[in-house]
Amino acid sequence: MKSGGLWYSVTVRDRHGKVISRERRRARSMLGNWYRILYAQMSFTTCSLVGTNGIDRGASWEQENWKFKAAADEDYIGIVIGTGTTPVTINDYKLDTQIMNGTGTGRIRHLASAPGSPSVAGSNCEFLTSRVFLNNSDSSIMVRESGIYCRCKGPTYYSYACIVRDVFGSPQDVPDGGSITIDYTLRVTA
Amino acid sequence: MMQEDEMKQQPRKARNKSDHVLSPELSYKVEVTDKDGLVIQREEGVSRSYVRQWNEIFQLQAGNVASGGVVKDTSGVTQTNAYRTSVCFKCDAGIGYTLVGLRVGKSSTPVSISDYALGAPIDEGTGIDQLEHQLTYFSGPSVVGSTLSFTIQRSMVNHSGATISGIMEIGNYIFFTASMMSRVALGFRDVLASAFDIPDGGAITITYTLKVTA
Repeated sequence: MKSGGLWYSVTVRDRHGKVISRERRRARSMLGNWYRILYAQMSFTTCSLVGTNGIDRGASWEQENWKFKAAADEDYIGIVIGTGTTPVTINDYKLDTQIMNGTGTGRIRHLASAPGSPSVAGSNCEFLTSRVFLNNSDSSIMVRESGIYCRCKGPTYYSYACIVRDVFGSPQDVPDGGSITIDYTLRVTA
Repeated sequence: MMQEDEMKQQPRKARNKSDHVLSPELSYKVEVTDKDGLVIQREEGVSRSYVRQWNEIFQLQAGNVASGGVVKDTSGVTQTNAYRTSVCFKCDAGIGYTLVGLRVGKSSTPVSISDYALGAPIDEGTGIDQLEHQLTYFSGPSVVGSTLSFTIQRSMVNHSGATISGIMEIGNYIFFTASMMSRVALGFRDVLASAFDIPDGGAITITYTLKVTA
């Protein structure tokens, strides 16, 4: 990592914890919704924002804006994954095809996730958010995209906003009993 | 956890617009006009100047932190009970208000990740080396192609009776909350490639563009 921005890494492990695949790259995937919330916060006003349910409930200033700390089994907030391959666009408001929480066919267990504390090294300040997904579905699952869903409040209603989406360079096959870990690092550089 | 082996950067020249741009991007434009409104000095550049407080405040939001966050304010005091807040990043400063919002100063000290204030900010007023800070203006977020951007702009007018010379730095002060009080932190700071002089009756206008490209 040499410059500011958002970075992600994907690590797939088998049922014994052995790493069987890894991908790490700079994300190009901060979406418009990230900056729509930033605009609402900086200007202390409101703007349009389409939530993960496809409904425009707007963005306003609110203490829970950008929250993406997630509890176990929560698939509507935090780092999320999917099977879609549609290229990222600035107005994406959800993953292409999200893999939901669970142990049934095509489902994956979402573990808890919380952003780590920021650290400073050299001219950088960064923090890491990591989430592990366990495949207990009895068959392998091909993962092709990841993203971040966060809490967001409009003038009236709360919603969830997709603020990050990445399509992997290579599909990641998660075997039954294995896991996939998604790390996002947000870095600023002076 | 905090590592303090910071490196001071060398002053940067304004970059050419054709430089390769990575998302997200912060860029600035500085214009000085004379008393007739004629632009007499201008600089545009890509900023690399977010400082640590920007990420620290964002982490408070992302982590839904309810207490115990650590953020240094613009007075140099390290606040140790910062937390999520509805006023995070707020910088919609009004006329004459300099606690938050865009500021200019005279320090040419290179930007460091741990900068917590402008080096030598210009105060509000009409006295010697003082500027009258105008209303902060935001343009709403707009999408063109695969890019979303919005701008924050502020003018400062020189009614001091003399030229104010040697403006070398610009930056943005933003709100956060700690120990049940609104606090102010430096969000980003840039050192300009050349010094700006503002004639009496003239003004300096700072425009930052925040842009993200998918």
